[in-house]
Amino acid sequence: MPASLQKMAHSSTSSGGNYNGSAVSEFPAGLRVLVVDDDVTTLKIIERMSLRCHYRVTTCSEATVALKILRERKGCFDVVLSDVHMPDMDGYKLLEHVGLEMDLPVISKHLSLDCRITLVVDVSMLVSCFWYPFSVMLKIGFDLQTAVMSVDDRTSTVMKGIRHGACDYFIKPVRLEELRNIWQHVARKFLNEHKEHDDFGSIDDNDRNARGNDDNDNNSYVVGTTKGIVKEQKKRSNLKDEVDVELENDDLSTSKKARVVWSVELHQQFVSAVNQLGLDKAVPKRILELMNVTGLTRENVASHLQKFRLYLKRLSGVAQQQNGMLNRVPGTIESKLAATGRYDIETLVASGHVSPETLAALQAELLGHPVTNIMPTVDQTALVHASVHRPKHSRADDPTEAYGPPHVNFPSNSVNNFPQSIFKVDDSSSRYGAWPPSNTLGSVSRGRLGILNNNTVIDLLQHQQKHRHQQKQQHFPIHDQNRSINVQPSCMVVPAQSSDTFQAVNSVASVNKDCSFDRNAIIDYSQSSEKSNNSSSTSQYPGGNTKATSISPLMSSFSVGSSNSNIQQSQNSTSTSGATRSLPSHLPMVFRQVPYDIKSTDSLDQSCLRNLGFVGKANCVPSFENKIESSASDFSHRKVFMASNCNTVKEEPDLIRYPNVGHPALQNYPSHDHSSGFT
Amino acid sequence: MLGLGADLLWADMNRLLAFLFHQGVLDEQFLQLQQLQDHTSPNFVSEVVNIYFHESEKLLTNLRSLLMEREFSDYKKMEIHLNQFIGSSSSIGAKRVTSICIAFRAASEQDNRAGCLRALEMLEHEYCYLKNKLHELFQIEQQRALAAGVRYPVQHQ
Repeated sequence: MPASLQKMAHSSTSSGGNYNGSAVSEFPAGLRVLVVDDDVTTLKIIERMSLRCHYRVTTCSEATVALKILRERKGCFDVVLSDVHMPDMDGYKLLEHVGLEMDLPVISKHLSLDCRITLVVDVSMLVSCFWYPFSVMLKIGFDLQTAVMSVDDRTSTVMKGIRHGACDYFIKPVRLEELRNIWQHVARKFLNEHKEHDDFGSIDDNDRNARGNDDNDNNSYVVGTTKGIVKEQKKRSNLKDEVDVELENDDLSTSKKARVVWSVELHQQFVSAVNQLGLDKAVPKRILELMNVTGLTRENVASHLQKFRLYLKRLSGVAQQQNGMLNRVPGTIESKLAATGRYDIETLVASGHVSPETLAALQAELLGHPVTNIMPTVDQTALVHASVHRPKHSRADDPTEAYGPPHVNFPSNSVNNFPQSIFKVDDSSSRYGAWPPSNTLGSVSRGRLGILNNNTVIDLLQHQQKHRHQQKQQHFPIHDQNRSINVQPSCMVVPAQSSDTFQAVNSVASVNKDCSFDRNAIIDYSQSSEKSNNSSSTSQYPGGNTKATSISPLMSSFSVGSSNSNIQQSQNSTSTSGATRSLPSHLPMVFRQVPYDIKSTDSLDQSCLRNLGFVGKANCVPSFENKIESSASDFSHRKVFMASNCNTVKEEPDLIRYPNVGHPALQNYPSHDHSSGFT
Repeated sequence: MLGLGADLLWADMNRLLAFLFHQGVLDEQFLQLQQLQDHTSPNFVSEVVNIYFHESEKLLTNLRSLLMEREFSDYKKMEIHLNQFIGSSSSIGAKRVTSICIAFRAASEQDNRAGCLRALEMLEHEYCYLKNKLHELFQIEQQRALAAGVRYPVQHQ
């Protein structure tokens, strides 16, 4: 092993040149990132990328070392970016540790001064010079944000990441743009915490006291002992008297009880107990009974339950981000949506990527929206697509022309129409996964086509043993991609965040994309290409299949949770009824797959957003009846969401921004010769 | 003449790069890599690629020795290696190597030993090809840097 590698096996910190503790010119600069990956090449590249983003980056090639660093230098990192597959410790394990040990508000409160400075800059950037009082900021604190990355794009892996509390999931290769966006998680965290603080101020305080009890013991999990923390607090509290008082209070609350260490095992026990009871009915006493652990008190459980609820809440944000990501606009739609769901204006301002015209177009669309019956919806969708796609497809033909036909063709369920209807449906799904076109009308024709496709899918799945098939799987999407890119000149503003899609074979998101391109191809190329398109679309379906089965139930679970309120708010009874009708079929799966079923009304718009992300997926596999149904339900939910959440108008432009994600022209180069190697 | 040579070499480099892209040997990620190279790290690409070669050769050796075992059963370990290989290959934009690795992984997931062997052979072949081509590329770049560095003494009055 060369010396350079040797060095990296320990950890090396390098700093983005112009960072200066107190004078950060722009927020993301100086973000403290810990990168953990056993693959030195990736590590080196990400390090370099982080430096390019002016992050202060620490790299580490072993998870155990990373954990050690994290424990020793608590509060020294804003974001941890970890590989999933590592020889010494699973990325998830690391996540778990980080989540359980370092994500506690009490601990995260003790962040270094730099962090708060970063935070101030961050806030001023986000809410245009809105200056939060110092004490509030101290109270709020930051949690450590973790993101995982992997070459593994299977749904299960991604979901696992979410469940373990990852706030983002990158599929390798990580791109500069993705890395550039990770600060959003930190910012969102802050805003989120702040909001929570405002809403549940008293609860928060109680909770903190309860947590203070937990904080008293020196144990293997918490490296900074209470003493150290107190000292640190004191040191810092010199900064401001007000703060001082507050911290003293906290110190007092750090009373004499022995601290319960919520080890991973204990936590698992806790989670299973909660699951058994159901999150709503879970009360500390019952949980305690179920867990049957000696030495555990009701208070311990109560405080942990509270933490757990907060964690779930956070997780729900994460999951919806994940959605967006699955939709293959990594770290983008998702994060925007997650953010906008909660603090629309700020994030909008923050994002700053909203072009005025898209905003205008969308607002027009949204204002028109409440008058919904099915046909107008289609119309509007088309309209929005037109407006949205204008910047992207700079091809000669008028966008409205391209998107117009669907809404004419939809009602007539003839098979002849399918290319157009697909084109349309797929557009709505792949881009926004969201717009509620008249799915009920279109589903018949699509269904038929879907069955056609699906047979081949199944065939493919069954014969996967052969490399050739797999090779095809890999290459057809790429193939399509090429085509699609030829269709769209590369005049994009935002560089491709999604290029990795094309390397990732079964990539969840590629399902979407490829589908849409696929259809582009159908339209742009004559019937002769249709055959190949079919097969190519089959190649994407395996990914889509797994997705649809494993995730859309989850989505439905959320819609279940919130559907009642949706119904109340919705103007559009037809679509809602469609949604509710299909929901029951998913329910059992929901509970099996999603231990953290969030039912609170808080998650209402989150759940809607979730649907947003998943419509696309369900749609890509239109063949199964129930899938159609579920997609229909998703759509209608989305519609409901649109209708009911007019106050979130501002978030829509974000949606629009992402379609712009471009595909660099160089991806045009096909790789057919390679696939021939297997034949 | 030498200055002109630099231009020609530049063109050569671009042609080779375009060729590799066209063949699907490299992809856009490689350009990302090139963009990351600046005056603070003038040799970033070749450094990273050398690390990659170093790691990959280890992985290839491991894979081969794993597959050559008589009582071969450790598909799990192979998948770990392959995941790493996929990660690093995709990170430098070695597209074809990546896709073969993915096929390889799929074969090993299905405990398909024959498929694994075939994939390994392809992988080795593809890897060698990539290595040669990238070396060629770096060589041209080196020459170009040399040629561009040549300055005729300026005639001062």
